[in-house]
Amino acid sequence: MILALLILVPLLFALGVVAAPAHRARFIAFLGMLVTFVLACYALFVFNWDFAANRTQLGLSIEWFPKLGLGLSLGVDSVALWLIVLAALLGPLCVLGSWTSITTQQRTFFAWLLVLQAALTGVFAARDLMLFYICFEFTLIPMFVLIRVFGSTNRKAASVKFFMYTFTGSVIALAGLLYVVWFAARSGFGWTLDIEQLSHIAARMPAGEQAFVLLALLAGFAVKVPLFPVHTWLPLAHTEAPTAGSVILAGVLLKLGTYAMYRFVLPFAPVAVMEYAPAIAVLCIFGIIYAGLICWVQTDVKKLVAYSSVSHLGFCVLGLFALNVTGMTGSVLYMINHGLSTGALFFLIGFMYERYHTRSMREVGGLASKMPVWATFMVFFTMASVGLPGLNGFVSEFLCMLGTFQADAAWAGVEGGTPGATWGVLGPWFAVFAATGVIVAAMYLLYMVGRMCFGPLVEPAGHDDDHHDESDKKKLPADLTFREIGVLLPLAGLCLYLGLQPTPLMRSIEAPIKMTVRLVQSANGISEIRPPMSPRGTGDPSHEDGAAQHDGRGAEPLGTDTETEVVR
Amino acid sequence: MTTLTHIIPSLVASVTGSLVQDGHADAAGEVGHAAEQVSHAVSQGITPPVDGPLWIALIPLLPILGVVLTTLCAIFKVKSKLPAFLTVGCLAASFGLTVAMYQHLSGMGPGSTVVVTAFEWFDLSWGAGEGQRFQADFAFYVDTLTCLWMLFVTGLGTLIALYASEYMAQDVGKGYSRFFMAFNLFVFSMACLVMGENLLVLFLGWEGVGLCSYLLIGYFYKKPAAVEAAKKAFIVNRIGDLGLLLGIFLTFVKFGTVSYPELWPLVEPYIQMVKSGHAGDVPLTVSLIPILLMVGAFGKSAQLPLYVWLPDAMEGPTPVSALIHAATMVTAGVYLIARMYPMFLVSEYALPIVGWIGALTALLAATIGMAQFDIKRIMAYSTVSQLGYMFCGLAVLSSTGAAFHVFTHAFFKATLFLCCGAVMHGFAGQLDLRKLSGVAFMKGWGIVGIAMLVGCLNLAGFPFTAGFFSKDMILAESFVTAGPGYGAIGWILLITAGLTAYYTFRVFFRVFVGPKAFEPGDELHEDHGDDGHGDESRPEAGATKFHPHAPGLAVNLVLGILALASIVAAGAYFVDKEDHGWVGRLVHESSANYTGSAAFLEHGDGAHRLEAGATGDGEAGAVEHGEAGAAGHGAAAAHGSFLGMDPHKAMYYVSSVVGLIGIGAAFYLHYLGRTTAARSKADDLLPALGPIPRWAQHKWYVDEFYNAVIVVPLRVLAHVFHAIDRLLVDGVVNLAGVLPRFVGSRIRPWQNGVMHGYAVGMVGGLALLIAAVVLLSM
Repeated sequence: MILALLILVPLLFALGVVAAPAHRARFIAFLGMLVTFVLACYALFVFNWDFAANRTQLGLSIEWFPKLGLGLSLGVDSVALWLIVLAALLGPLCVLGSWTSITTQQRTFFAWLLVLQAALTGVFAARDLMLFYICFEFTLIPMFVLIRVFGSTNRKAASVKFFMYTFTGSVIALAGLLYVVWFAARSGFGWTLDIEQLSHIAARMPAGEQAFVLLALLAGFAVKVPLFPVHTWLPLAHTEAPTAGSVILAGVLLKLGTYAMYRFVLPFAPVAVMEYAPAIAVLCIFGIIYAGLICWVQTDVKKLVAYSSVSHLGFCVLGLFALNVTGMTGSVLYMINHGLSTGALFFLIGFMYERYHTRSMREVGGLASKMPVWATFMVFFTMASVGLPGLNGFVSEFLCMLGTFQADAAWAGVEGGTPGATWGVLGPWFAVFAATGVIVAAMYLLYMVGRMCFGPLVEPAGHDDDHHDESDKKKLPADLTFREIGVLLPLAGLCLYLGLQPTPLMRSIEAPIKMTVRLVQSANGISEIRPPMSPRGTGDPSHEDGAAQHDGRGAEPLGTDTETEVVR
Repeated sequence: MTTLTHIIPSLVASVTGSLVQDGHADAAGEVGHAAEQVSHAVSQGITPPVDGPLWIALIPLLPILGVVLTTLCAIFKVKSKLPAFLTVGCLAASFGLTVAMYQHLSGMGPGSTVVVTAFEWFDLSWGAGEGQRFQADFAFYVDTLTCLWMLFVTGLGTLIALYASEYMAQDVGKGYSRFFMAFNLFVFSMACLVMGENLLVLFLGWEGVGLCSYLLIGYFYKKPAAVEAAKKAFIVNRIGDLGLLLGIFLTFVKFGTVSYPELWPLVEPYIQMVKSGHAGDVPLTVSLIPILLMVGAFGKSAQLPLYVWLPDAMEGPTPVSALIHAATMVTAGVYLIARMYPMFLVSEYALPIVGWIGALTALLAATIGMAQFDIKRIMAYSTVSQLGYMFCGLAVLSSTGAAFHVFTHAFFKATLFLCCGAVMHGFAGQLDLRKLSGVAFMKGWGIVGIAMLVGCLNLAGFPFTAGFFSKDMILAESFVTAGPGYGAIGWILLITAGLTAYYTFRVFFRVFVGPKAFEPGDELHEDHGDDGHGDESRPEAGATKFHPHAPGLAVNLVLGILALASIVAAGAYFVDKEDHGWVGRLVHESSANYTGSAAFLEHGDGAHRLEAGATGDGEAGAVEHGEAGAAGHGAAAAHGSFLGMDPHKAMYYVSSVVGLIGIGAAFYLHYLGRTTAARSKADDLLPALGPIPRWAQHKWYVDEFYNAVIVVPLRVLAHVFHAIDRLLVDGVVNLAGVLPRFVGSRIRPWQNGVMHGYAVGMVGGLALLIAAVVLLSM
C-alpha cells in the first residue's frame, strides 16, 4: 500500500498544482514532495530489514488479465527501496532549488516535476515487467517537457535528441524483455510478467538466445546509463535542462539504466553475461578515460559535470559486471552516492547560473572571493566526486575497483592461495586501467574548481552589483541564501555520513545482492556464495565454468522451487 | 575550555557506544580467528596487540574538534586571532595525549602494541570462508613507530600553529579561520595516516593530507601560480596514490586482510623464504606488492620521478611549507615503507629500487638546489634531497637511520623554513638571496639569525649536530650493506652531503651575514589581501619608505624552541646506545625492525646468514648480504668497508671533512670579500662551468620535459576525443536521425490525398501479398 501511495501522492499533488493559482504552485509542489519523502521514510521504517526476510516486500498485487499474466504488482527489495528514498530525497530539494529560478509557467514546471517523481518511484517499485516498462518510458515525457519548455538556448534540439535516443534504445530493450516472457511461456511456465519468476526461468535459456537478450537489453539500458559510445545525448540534455531537471537526470534518471541492468541484464542472461562481461568492462573503462579526458577540455562547466557522469557511471557498470558481491555492492552504492554528489554539483552550478546567466568558465571564475560559501560547498562536493576517502564517493569507487580486481577465476590457481579473490571474469588488469580514471577525475575536477572557485575573479561583462535595474528587488544576494544552503546541507551531511558509516547501508543491500550473485553463479555452475564452510579455492572454477559454457546452457536446471531455495 | 573537556569524552562515548551496537554479530567468531593468528604471531616473537584505552582515539579527534571550532569561527566571521589559539589549544592537548600514549606504551614493556577501535568503517562479506570478507575498521594501531611519528607531528604542529598565529596575522578576519581549519584537518589526516590500524585508514590519511596540502598550497587562491601549484601537487600525488591503491588491492587479494597485525604473521613465511635463499619461490603477486606501495611513497615523499610538485608547493604560506612540505607530510612515504617493512623484505628488488631512486633524487635535487636563488625553493629542493637520504636509509637496511633522519630533519628543516618565513614576512615577500644580505645583524633579527645558523649546521651535517649523527648512520650503513650497487649509493650520498653543505651555507653566508643590504619584495601588507601577491615588476617607489619589521614574540619564541630542539635532538643518539639511540629503540620495537630479537630477522644469527649470503647466488643473495652485514654488526662489519676501514667509524671523520669542505667552499665563494648583496665570487666562477649552472637553475628542464611528454600529448588526446565525440560518435547518431527524416521527405509526396493514387497502392500491395503467399506455399 505504501508503495502505491508513493506513486499516487505526487500525482495527486500534481493535480493540485494544476488546479491552484500559479503563485502557489511551488508551495504545493514542495508540500507534495515533502509528503512523498516522509512516506518514503515511513517505508524504510516498515521494511523488514531482517537478513533472512530481506526479499521483495511491501507488495501489492492487482490482477487484471491473469491468463496472460497481466496485472499490476508492486514490491521492493532493499536496493530498490534505497533508490526510491534517493528519489524522494532529491524531490523536495529540487523544488527548493528551483524556488526562484522558474519565473514563468510555474504550474507546468512543478506539476511535471511531481509526475516525474511518481514515474521514477514506479520504476523502482514495479514487480512486473508491464508496470516497469510503462514507468520506465513514461519518465521520458515529463523530462522532455522540462527540457523543452524550461531549458536554455538549445533546448529544442536537446529535448528531441534526449527523447528519441533513449526511446529508440528502450524499444529494443522491450523486445529483449518480451523475448524472455515468451521463452517462459514456451517452456511451459505459462504467461507471466513477474520479474522474480522470470529471473529464475531465464537461466534455462540457451546461451545463444541469452546473448541476444543481453544485447537487446543493453541496447536500451546502456543508452540510459549512458555508456560509451551511446552517451552523446547526455551532455546536450544536461547542459540545456533547467537545474532541477539536471539534478533529477543525474541523480535518479541515469540510475534507471544501472538499476535495470542490475534487475534484468544479470538475472535474464546469466550465462551470456559472463561471456560478455569483459567486453562490457572494456567499454566502461574506455568510457571512464575517454569521457574524463573530454571533461578536461570543456569550457562549459555544466557540460563538464555532464561528461563526468559518463565517466563516473563507467565505474558503476564496471562494478556490476564484476559479478561478485564486492563489485555489485559498490555499484549500488555508486548509484546512491553519485546521485548525492553530482546532484549537489548541478545544484551549485544552477545557483551560480541564476546569478550570472552563463555556464562558460571563460566568462565566470574565481568566485571564492565573491561567494565563499558557494565555493566551500563546491570544493566539498568536488572532493566527494573525486573519491576522497572519508566521503561517500570513495566507498563506492573503491568497492567497484576492488570487486573488479578480485574477480578473476585465475586467482584460484595462484601460488600460495588468494583468500581475497572471488570467482569472476575480470581481474587486476581491468582494475589497473579503470583506476587511472581516478587520476583523470582529479585532473578535470580540480581544473573545474581551479577555474570556478580560485584564481582572479572573473565575471561576465554587464554583471555588476552596483548596477540597479527594475528587477533589482528580486535579485539574489552575491553568496548563497539560507534556502540554497538548506538544499545543499542535507546532501553534504549524507556525503560525509555515508563516507564514514557505509557499512549499515552495505549490510542492508547484502541479501538481494547475494541473491543476484548466486543466481548468476549457479547458472554458470559456480557456487561460491552458497554457505557454509566450503573453503574457497578448493574447486577449480575455470574448469567448471568452461563446462558450463560449452554446451551453452546453465549447468544446473533450476526448477520452480528455486525461489524458496534461494531465499532460504 | 572546561566545558570542552567535558564534551569530548561524552562525544567519544556516544560514538563508540553506537559502534558497539551495530558491531559485529559474529564477534565471537572473529575473536577466535584473531586469537589463532595471535598465537601464531607469538610463536614468531611478535607481541600481539591488545585493546588500548579509548582516549588514544582523542589524539586524532582533537584536531577534528579544532576543525569544527575554526569552521564556527569562519561562519560567525570572527575577527580576532581566536581560531589560532583554538588550534594551538587543540593541538597542544593532542600532543599531551601523544606523550601520554608513549608513556602508556612504554609502561607495557618493549615490543608491545595497542589497537584502539573507534568505529566500524568497511565490513563486507561475500561468503563464510576465510578471507571472504573485506573488513577495515576505523581503528588505530599504536606501536613505538607510531609514537615516534606522532610525537613530532603533534609537537611541531602545535609550535608551527603558534608561529602561524603571528605569521598569518594580516589575514585575520579574512582567510585566517580557513587557514587554521585546513591546518587542523591536516593534523587529523596525518594522525590517521600514522595511527591507522590498516592500510585503508592509512589511505584515508594519505589522501586527506593530500587534500589539506591542496587547500593550503592554494591558500592565496587569487594568485594563479598558487592555484596551479596546488593542482599539480594533488594530481602528481594521485599518480602515486594509484600505485598505493593497487598495492592495497593486491595485499587484500593475496592475504585476505589489510590490517597490520593480521598481516605480519602472513607475510612471515615469505620473509623466511627470502632469508633461506629461495627468493625465487616468492610468488610474483607477493613481491609485486612492495613495488606498488613504493610508487605511492615516491609520490607523497617527492622522489623521482614524482618530485616535481614539492618545489612548486612553496607557493603556500611558509608555516605550511614548514609543517607539511618539510617536516611531516612528505615523510609519509618513509613512514609507509617503515610501517610495511616486512613487506619490503619479501622482494629482492624492492629495497634496491628504493635505494637507487633515493640516491638519484638526493643528488639531482641537491644540484638543482645549488643553482636556485629563491631561498624557500632552495630549502624545498633540500627537502627532496634529504628525503632521498631517508629512502636510502630504508634501502640499506637502516630503518633506524631513516627514522632518525626523519626525526632530526623534522626539527631542523622546520627551523630553516620558519627562519626563511620570518625573512619573507619581514621583507615583504623577498626571497631572492641576491637581494638580501646581513639580515642576522639587523635590529631584532638576532634570534632568527641564530636559529638559522643552527638549522644550517644541522642540514650541512656539521660535526656533533643532530643532522650529523642521523646522516652518518645512513651513510655508514650504505657502505656496510651489500646490495646491487650499494657502494655507489654510498658514494653518491657522500658527494651529495658535500653539495648540501655548500648550498645550505650559500644561503646563510649570502642572506644572514655579510654587509647589510636589502631590497623589499612586492608584498606590502596593506594591500596584501586585495590583490594577492601582485605582479613581479612593481616600481621601486615603495622601497624607499620600506622598513623591514622584525619578527614578534610568537615567531621568536617558536624559533628559539625549535632551534633548541634541533640541538637537543642529537641527544637522542646517546641514550639507549645499545639500540643506536632512542629512535633506534623505537624502531626496533616496531614493525620497521629487522634485527631485534622480536622480529623477522633474528639478531643473533648474523653469522649464519652471513654464510647464507655468501653462498647465495647472485641477486638473490644480495639482500641477505646486507641483512647479515647490518644485523651481525660486529662480526659482519668487515663485510662492507669504506676504503678498507670500518665504515661506522670512518664515516664520522669522512663526512665531517666533506661537510666542512662544502661549508668552506660556500664561505670562500659567498662570504669572503662580498661587498654587495647581488654579487659574490661565485659569479666569477660561473662562466667556467659553461651551460651547466643555467641548466641546473632551470631544474634540468624536468618540468618542461614532463610537459612535453605527458601533459601536452594528453591535452591533444583530450581535444581529439572531444572532436571525435562531437563529429563521429554523435555524428553517427545524428545521421541515424537524419535518415528517417530523409526517407520521410521522399515518401511524403505519396500521401497527397489523391484517391486513385491510394487505390493503385492498395491494389499493388494486395498483389504483392498474394504473390508472396503463393510463392511461399509452393
